[in-house]
Amino acid sequence: MIIAERKPIKRILQMIEPFERIAVIGCRGCVAICSAGGDREVEILAAALRLARKRQGRPLKTVEDTFVRQCDPEYLTPLGELKEKVEAVVSLACGVGVNLAADLFPDLKIYPGVDTSFYGANPALGEWEEKCRGCGDCIIDFTGGLCPIARCAKNLLNGPCGGSQNGKCEIRPEVPCVWHQIYERLKARGELEKLSQIFPAKNWIPAGHGGPRERKRPDLQMNSQK
Amino acid sequence: MSQLKLAILCCHYTNEATAQDVADIPAEVVIKRFPCSGRIEVVDILRALEEDAGAVLVAGCEKGSCHNNTGSLRAEKRVEAARKILEEIGLSPERVQMAFVPRLDTGALVEAAKRTFETLLEISAKGETSS
Repeated sequence: MIIAERKPIKRILQMIEPFERIAVIGCRGCVAICSAGGDREVEILAAALRLARKRQGRPLKTVEDTFVRQCDPEYLTPLGELKEKVEAVVSLACGVGVNLAADLFPDLKIYPGVDTSFYGANPALGEWEEKCRGCGDCIIDFTGGLCPIARCAKNLLNGPCGGSQNGKCEIRPEVPCVWHQIYERLKARGELEKLSQIFPAKNWIPAGHGGPRERKRPDLQMNSQK
Repeated sequence: MSQLKLAILCCHYTNEATAQDVADIPAEVVIKRFPCSGRIEVVDILRALEEDAGAVLVAGCEKGSCHNNTGSLRAEKRVEAARKILEEIGLSPERVQMAFVPRLDTGALVEAAKRTFETLLEISAKGETSS
């Protein structure tokens, strides 16, 4: 899922400084699952903003809602009515949601309430770990299902580097060296021959270095606006 | 100076305190009970402050005695989270206090409330206002 984290409240207060009536809108997708932008976080942020503004002597009125998703136009339609009732919207969706809302409602003052961080897994309550970089050219069939792009600090395709010590990465002693893990995993599977090839320099265009990425499925497209 | 207000958010099973029990505290004391302190959310604490409480006491069962096992431990985590938010918006985190009290011991809860009120007095003496 997409992992996000609430921005510092002072930063959000700066964004909404001119306004007296705002909406705080969450998303029940990834950011709800990673406890950054679901119903609970919406009500906490709204209460914190109201409390801060009350203390400043400039009371803030808030409308709170959480949409099913903010990355699909159909779920953003309530913003059309909402923008008539509030001066600005703080969205707790990931950057995708804020961007789509800004695309669809150009006159809506919408601000991000979270920093969108990475694609991660939730190995334990309250913990999220990056597992994928979304590079668009997946090679983990060669690496035992472990991604060296996302999980190696140097994004090495032919690791480990000289900084790998006793199975740990040189960046922090608690971080496992993913290339050490890849070796051990493939050895246990009897697939070490997969490491005999040298990966060539990676083509980063599918990773987004060729501009914003798109995916189209003509068999699903019915009413494309493009 | 208007009267200080203290909010107590507590588990049903920790006490049977009434307004009379906290009458010695020279503040408006509001007691809000929950089925378990683990049900007390960060937003409940913030809303109590929004509703003019200068300080909030969250009270749950002593560690190991919550009949939902981890209710008061969860409440403690929520108190920590609320305190961090207060720090972010420039309020003393000490405005939110956690107390682990013996089950059905009203006396222990009242003592914790008095300590919270004293903390509130200290914060107020520094000139910090919550609203």
